[in-house]
Amino acid sequence: MTAGTHPTRHRRRIRTTEDGRRTLTAGHAFAIAVLALVLGMLLDAQGMHKSAYNQPAGWKRSAALAVTGPLATLSHALLLDRPRRYLQAALGRKGEDTIDTKIVIPAPVTTPVSPPASSSGPQTTPKPPMKLKEAFSPKHKLRLWIAGDSLVIVPGWAIIRAAGSHGAIQPVGNGPDGHVATGLERPDVFNWFTHVADELRVLKPNAVVVDFGGNDDHAYMTGLPKGVTIDGFGTPSWRREYGRRVGGMMDEIARTGAFVVWIGLPIVRSPSETADFDKINAVVAAEARKRPGRVAFVDTYTTFASASGGFAQYLEDAAGNQVLVRAPDGVHFEPAGGAIIARMVLHALNERFDLTSWRRQTAKPHP
Amino acid sequence: MLFPTATFAIFFLIVLPLSWLTMPYPHRWRPFIIAASYVFYSWWDWRFVFLLAASTLWSHVFATAIHRTTVTSRRKLLLVLALVGDVGALGYFKYYDFFVSSGDNLLSVVGLHVPLGLHSLILPVGLSFYTFMAISYVVDTYRGDFEPVSLERFATYLSFFPHLVAGPIVRPGELLPQIDRPRDPRSVDTSRAFYLLATGLFKKVVIANFLASSIADDVFGAPTQHSSLELLVAIYAYAVQIYADFSGYTDMAIGLALLLGFTFPRSFDSPYAAVSVQDFWRRWHMTLSRWLRDYVYIPFGGNRKGELTTYRNLLLTMLIGGLWHGAGWTFVVWGGLHGVGLAVGRFRRGSGEPVPPKGIALWRARLLTFHFVCFAWVFFRADSFTTAKDILTGLVTRWGDPSPLVTSTVVLAIVAGIASQYLPARVPRELMDRFARMPVVAQAGVLALALMVTSVMGPEGVAPFIYFRF
Repeated sequence: MTAGTHPTRHRRRIRTTEDGRRTLTAGHAFAIAVLALVLGMLLDAQGMHKSAYNQPAGWKRSAALAVTGPLATLSHALLLDRPRRYLQAALGRKGEDTIDTKIVIPAPVTTPVSPPASSSGPQTTPKPPMKLKEAFSPKHKLRLWIAGDSLVIVPGWAIIRAAGSHGAIQPVGNGPDGHVATGLERPDVFNWFTHVADELRVLKPNAVVVDFGGNDDHAYMTGLPKGVTIDGFGTPSWRREYGRRVGGMMDEIARTGAFVVWIGLPIVRSPSETADFDKINAVVAAEARKRPGRVAFVDTYTTFASASGGFAQYLEDAAGNQVLVRAPDGVHFEPAGGAIIARMVLHALNERFDLTSWRRQTAKPHP
Repeated sequence: MLFPTATFAIFFLIVLPLSWLTMPYPHRWRPFIIAASYVFYSWWDWRFVFLLAASTLWSHVFATAIHRTTVTSRRKLLLVLALVGDVGALGYFKYYDFFVSSGDNLLSVVGLHVPLGLHSLILPVGLSFYTFMAISYVVDTYRGDFEPVSLERFATYLSFFPHLVAGPIVRPGELLPQIDRPRDPRSVDTSRAFYLLATGLFKKVVIANFLASSIADDVFGAPTQHSSLELLVAIYAYAVQIYADFSGYTDMAIGLALLLGFTFPRSFDSPYAAVSVQDFWRRWHMTLSRWLRDYVYIPFGGNRKGELTTYRNLLLTMLIGGLWHGAGWTFVVWGGLHGVGLAVGRFRRGSGEPVPPKGIALWRARLLTFHFVCFAWVFFRADSFTTAKDILTGLVTRWGDPSPLVTSTVVLAIVAGIASQYLPARVPRELMDRFARMPVVAQAGVLALALMVTSVMGPEGVAPFIYFRF
């Protein structure tokens, strides 16, 4: 780049590029960058504060909050948060910077039981333990909603593809409702309890497939009830509170009458992370066992383990071909892995509902 | 660390002044910028730096040996060894599992198996890019186009962080002379730099992410669940998404380099305004296409050995280009389609330079080329041939089905993305000129507003960059 120069009355040369555009000094470049970032931070302070709040617990989060908290206060005092707020309102994203940690856990749904025997009243006949399976068909499809963290996305699409060819299942919502980096421990990052309640009201599913826990392998929880503290991940206090949230999520769905299929966490490349996921799976499986007929826990651990019991990036399919099932990060799934989970989920749905007798009714009799 | 993150902003604000302060003293500046680049690279995974260091050392040793040798056969042998090392590293980390599993699946048809285990390797970020740059260095030395430089200079060239993880693929002859000559701190093209940074950030964070999350990911995830209109719009959306994502990131890389005083070559020049497949590759990822031309197509013989051989060379070059993009057969098919497109284009126009069409013929050519490119994108984006087939067959079978994903905002974003290809060059020039004439504080204010708007309109968090997996 050849600098052109033009003398000015202030004896300061204006340098230009080859096509005549004014250039500045490196010092000016640095000053503009710093000033732009500082002003940008003031204009964006509320969003940055929320992002800092949403970070995993640790020194980075503490440092970010220490910076963004006062910045957000200053921005508000100088009215510099207004442009962001007005733009959000114009885009229909009002309230996005609000940090919501409220968790509303409904009362558990209980299985109807026979009334207790009375000395004066008549003896009642106990109801049968299992209802007849509710039947679905192409004319009366099972409405299926899929939600969870990032681990639900690829299996969710596989479930939707499988549902498409099934005939009696209708996925509701716009694809899997997967939110990356979310879970049940951090409602400030994304409040699943509020979101699930809102979506259930609108979508009215008969069954809900969920996958949570992939980002819950730590002890930092927000939205804790008063007086509750967590000693550490995997401790009794952690199991109690996490179990309360898992059970609460199950009940929130079940009280609408929807059946819950909870996909368990798989083995992952990192042994320590796998051990943590085992603890989460144990809590979820225990809560599922307390809710027979309402919740099915799909255990994916052994399905994705290699012959030696370790992590497997590839698995053999029925034809003996090596198929890539796990993503390069050693955690998420490739489409073939998602398809395996889809089969497991459909199996769980078939166990709970009658999704196939319509085929026999529509099949033509042999001559 | 990704460019559009607070961590990178802090990193860059430290590196920028220190780079200019040390630049008058090359023996201080080069070690500093190498260290900064290695810190940048190690942020992804500290183990990656060993591979970068090994690639640097390997390529430098062989380039130096080639330059010092006058015996032709020995020079050739050294070149082959250098390429085996560079391509071997890329092949191992990127393609080992792909070829083993593909070979195993093929042999299993006759009851045999490949006696090799799968390694589940992590692909180091940027490996494809800096490997190609290292190959440029060695081959240019062999050809006599270039004299190798010191290890320190070469390491500076190869690891320079603005281009390290996702290009552009800068040639030794373009960057090394700049490294050798301290940049002029009195004349930095700040308006172009900040323009590229602001627009690049907006394209990547807002446009690309919006189109991915609003329609492209949904439709490509389950094509049989969507109407023909949604499938068609999703294909257009993906075309704009990948352009916005990649050109956005490249623009930011060029902008950052400019602030440090270095000029990178452009990589995109309104590719969707192309009038032929050949024209498309002169506008899309230009640094890759010229690399493929100079280091694959021409060594194969180019167009010097008859028409049939030319077609073969075009096809082979694009098949390799497809494979470079990903370890998957859909990428190979994508490359093959472009190879066929190039061959057909050459057959139709002959061996001379194409005559630019005019009037209605011009728009017809643009329309046909754009749709051919979109057709090929289906294979690039689909996770399997089944998905690609479902998309293409669904385009004709489900017209009239509900299309809730085709919203006015989606259509507007696609139209804006394609219309931007036809923006006259004087428009961004005038914007940069006006920006350059503003006082410094006003420039900072405009940039701050642009940052805020991008932050509000973008999604939460930073979405991955498509080309990182290459």
